[in-house]
Amino acid sequence: MSAPGFGRATYEVAAKDLRLEWRTFESLSSAIVFSLIVLVLFSFAFGFSAAREFGVDRIVPGVVWTVLAFATVVTVARSMELERRRDTLTALFLAPVDRGALFAGKLVANLVKIGLLHGTVVALAALFFDFDLLEVAAPLALVLAVHALGLTELGTLFAAIATRVGRGEALLATLLFPASAPVFVSAVKCTAAVLSGRGLGDEGRTWLLATVGFDVLYFLVALGTFEFVLEE
Amino acid sequence: MARMWDRMLYALWGVATLAIGIAIYLVFLHAPEERVMGPPQRIFYFHVPIAMMTFLAVFVLLVGSLGYLWTRQRAWDDLARAASEVGLLFCTLVLITGPIWAKPAWGVWWTWEARLTTTLLLWLLLVGGQMVRSYATNRDQGARLAAVVGIVAALDVPIVYKAVDWWRGQHPVLFRPGAGRALAPGMSETFSFCIWAFALLFALLLALRFRLARIEDRTLDCVERLSAG
Repeated sequence: MSAPGFGRATYEVAAKDLRLEWRTFESLSSAIVFSLIVLVLFSFAFGFSAAREFGVDRIVPGVVWTVLAFATVVTVARSMELERRRDTLTALFLAPVDRGALFAGKLVANLVKIGLLHGTVVALAALFFDFDLLEVAAPLALVLAVHALGLTELGTLFAAIATRVGRGEALLATLLFPASAPVFVSAVKCTAAVLSGRGLGDEGRTWLLATVGFDVLYFLVALGTFEFVLEE
Repeated sequence: MARMWDRMLYALWGVATLAIGIAIYLVFLHAPEERVMGPPQRIFYFHVPIAMMTFLAVFVLLVGSLGYLWTRQRAWDDLARAASEVGLLFCTLVLITGPIWAKPAWGVWWTWEARLTTTLLLWLLLVGGQMVRSYATNRDQGARLAAVVGIVAALDVPIVYKAVDWWRGQHPVLFRPGAGRALAPGMSETFSFCIWAFALLFALLLALRFRLARIEDRTLDCVERLSAG
């Protein structure tokens, strides 16, 4: 039997993570409840009519992305914590496959979870802050996808580091937020542009393209360094 | 070999001390007073060279981290460790001297401008790297994980800078390419000298920390060999 190739290994790792999630709903359920609580806190902090007073595009992007950033930390930290508990990370590392594929598989599984999380959070935000989601659905989905990718790539890499040294979300947040600041800034800008109802515009398109560039760079860096993180 | 290294370190120590002494003289007694900002402007002779050395430290951190992951030679990790610690020190000084200047010049201690924000985020990333290293269960793991964080941090600096620059901007730009010298003669030579003085100080601190890291390594190697035997 020959060792599986990159694509096959990526698929197997991602499928394993998603099967686990499907059976327990462990990380998604906690991330969604967590997001809901933070959204409610934001509503208390700004007052229920803040979105109407200041405009949806002033309040909602910041709120949604702050929630998503923290929920991302919760989700990706969970996916690595599960591996640590029974030291299956070492077992993964021993598998005769490209180590980059382990990263890619983890990333794919995390992206699926985070995609579902994004959908839920945005729908809840539309409900709480009263804006028409269907009207902006297509451009908003594009903006969410491009930025979720960058955040999740760095998140997956740093979650492995935080898990390796036996620390959880606190260290992950300390590493992830400064490093992913460009993605976060761009995410808020683009979301605001979409929610303003005037479309992305030239500035939004520039940000979005730049973030695609960040995504590619982060992917390559994480792919190249993940192996050193897993090493025992 | 070791003797020669030590002699060079002493020489560097002497030259750097002298250079910093001269720099202080030039900054406070030689450079003319800035007409609009007055005395607070003089902090710029310290602030800007220290900021330059911070970014040089990040570059050395990148080289050390890549070198370690590539070769697995301890010396590269010692270089990365020295660069990240000296870099953190200089970065802290930048964040302290900046606001002292900004308060009289801009009227606020802090503003979310590209260079300030980048420096603050860099500071957080350097602290993150230190945390990862200190939490690690053993030396090799600490070196490896800190190298990964170091590489991401170093590659991130230009991106963060560019992103925040687009986000907003108001930092004074003194040297625009092609715009010619914006500084008065007495200021310009003081500034150039300060850059060299702080480069020497940076080299000295880096060399001292590197040497200490080598000694630490050798000691720990001995301890490990003794406890294994």
